[in-house]
Amino acid sequence: MNTTKTAGLLLGLAGFMLPLLITLPGLSFAGHIALGIFLMAAFFWMLEPIPIHGTSLLVIFLGVLLLSGQGPLYKDASAPLINPVSAEQGYTIPATALSASGTVWVKDSNQWSEIQVTLVEDQSGILTVEGDISPSAQIAVDVSHRSVNFVPRRFNDYIGTLANPIIILFLGGFMLAQGAVKYNFDKNLTRYLLKPFGTRPGAILVGLMMVTAVLSAFMSNTATTAMMMTVILPLIAQMGAADRFKTALALSIPIAANIGGIATPIGTPPNAIVIAALQKQDIAISFTEWMALTLPLVILVLAVAWFLLMKLFPPQITEIKSGADVSFNKSGKALTFYGIFLLTVLLWITESVHGISSSIVALLPIAGLALTEALEVKDIRQLPWEVLWLVAGGLALGLYMDHTGLATYLVSSISWASFGGFAVIAMFAVVAVVMSNFLSNTVTATLLMPLAVSIGILQNSGSLDIIELALVIGVGTSMAMVLPISTPPNAIAVSTGLVKTPDMAKIGVVIGFAGIMLMLAYALVYWPLLLN
Amino acid sequence: MNTNLFIMCIEDESEVLEAILRDLEMFEDYFRIEAAQSVDEAKEVLKVLINDGLKPALFICDHKMPGTTGVDYLVELSREEATSKAARMLLTGQAGQQDTIKAVNQAGLHYYLPKPWKPAELQRIVTELLTDFVSKNEDNLMAYMAVLDAEKLSEAMRNRNTYTDM
Repeated sequence: MNTTKTAGLLLGLAGFMLPLLITLPGLSFAGHIALGIFLMAAFFWMLEPIPIHGTSLLVIFLGVLLLSGQGPLYKDASAPLINPVSAEQGYTIPATALSASGTVWVKDSNQWSEIQVTLVEDQSGILTVEGDISPSAQIAVDVSHRSVNFVPRRFNDYIGTLANPIIILFLGGFMLAQGAVKYNFDKNLTRYLLKPFGTRPGAILVGLMMVTAVLSAFMSNTATTAMMMTVILPLIAQMGAADRFKTALALSIPIAANIGGIATPIGTPPNAIVIAALQKQDIAISFTEWMALTLPLVILVLAVAWFLLMKLFPPQITEIKSGADVSFNKSGKALTFYGIFLLTVLLWITESVHGISSSIVALLPIAGLALTEALEVKDIRQLPWEVLWLVAGGLALGLYMDHTGLATYLVSSISWASFGGFAVIAMFAVVAVVMSNFLSNTVTATLLMPLAVSIGILQNSGSLDIIELALVIGVGTSMAMVLPISTPPNAIAVSTGLVKTPDMAKIGVVIGFAGIMLMLAYALVYWPLLLN
Repeated sequence: MNTNLFIMCIEDESEVLEAILRDLEMFEDYFRIEAAQSVDEAKEVLKVLINDGLKPALFICDHKMPGTTGVDYLVELSREEATSKAARMLLTGQAGQQDTIKAVNQAGLHYYLPKPWKPAELQRIVTELLTDFVSKNEDNLMAYMAVLDAEKLSEAMRNRNTYTDM
């Protein structure tokens, strides 16, 4: 185990212990536990002493164990309560019921609230207090009890994240992607779509970027990049040793794959974090709406990238032959797959017309490809299940940060209203892009989203749109491509030896910057048109 | 070197061994390259390397040597668990028909290159053998893209779902 991993492990464990050793006034005991898990998960996800999907499963496991109503900690726990005892003036309560900040906690129809009281009299441990306590409420005898200000959820809620509608949507996407690879659909489609772009280098670059973006909008960015590498390497072999356009081709693939992932809800996992977070606030974003919100941005950023690549790495070669033949697999199972693929995609992008949720449509490829055996058991075993677990862990973390009151607690210490809604959006856009250059995109979205949503709710005014805030985080993570470690597609491109890190960094910085500016311009001008 | 694979070259004549090693220099940053002048020496080196957690990717073996012959050693390697997955190549001018048949049928020989060889040819064959080995047996395929056949490795990544968006 190397130094980073050891440090990650130690910091994570220290992070877990810290909230249990100190008391944060106003935060429930459960909130302290959630903070411990949050800190541990953050360190584990950032420094990766254990695989990142392992951290996600740990997050779910600890949530069930330490926070759910069926776990050992809260199984039989209920805060000792008393009915208010009226005195001549106010109510009498035991001394343990009064918090350090002069409040008592009361529970009324399963809802906790904190009530400010004034101390009237202290008679050797029996206090008389005055405050706005409803006669039907019960008062917590001991404010330090672990059940005060916390109503544990069922453990089903936490493990349920593994089958959250957004996870099912992604599973549908994974089934389609697996089928595309199995029947060579992605590669043949690429060759077919590239044909009209001819042989001129500039036009081929447009074609490659467009096809890559379209595929990565429906398949994983990484799988798309690996596939596109097999397409561009024979093209690169035609170029002279000194032709810098090689770098342009090799860089165009990860750029287009990263950016293309933004275009649909299933394009890349951070999109799932955005949609699930909004879903929790009862805001449903349909497949069609998502595309309407993001596609114009994707096209614009791709155009910027194309321009940059042509400028920085001008081609010497004048004609590039693509040559490879298109030969679509025409077996019965392949045809079944094509049918299910096209129908699913069609139903997804027309969600706003028929109104059937994209997660329900996702069951079509899941069930359809399994029952026709277009995907066999061995294919299904190969699906990237760990990505689903990664997202589910993130959703579980968001869930209990929310209902232990931790998320609100963390953001309420700063008065966000004084910044104005746009400044908050701009800040999160920058933080998301910068963070995700160093961390996994999904992890970045997972860590930022609960905080952002809480700020959005706290400042529920016209100036801050919670959808825009969530969008800039999700989209921003996909704009991060400065370093080889920023995303797996970048890593693949650099591994070929055709792209040098400084070249990648140069373009990555410009795209990141342009991406932030364009996102904010959209947040100001374009998104409000669609959202209001 | 960020990988734990090695190539073992076994050849009794030191000038020939040096020539092989010189031709394999391009792989040095990615594979540890080991040399032995007899099968007995190779076995000892192998034991130490495997103990250190390294994995054999390719054996390049002469046939006529004092002691155990190359073909017999390759048969042995193909039967042992620790070495059976590695690619096996015979680089010789002196293997007779019987030995060659044995190498193909019993040692699952991957390539027979007759002496004298051209450096470019040896490099092409080694690249091919290592690419196949790595595609089938390794997880971190990216680590080898710059030195081996990047197109084939990309294809393997695509088929095996080696990397995912995280």
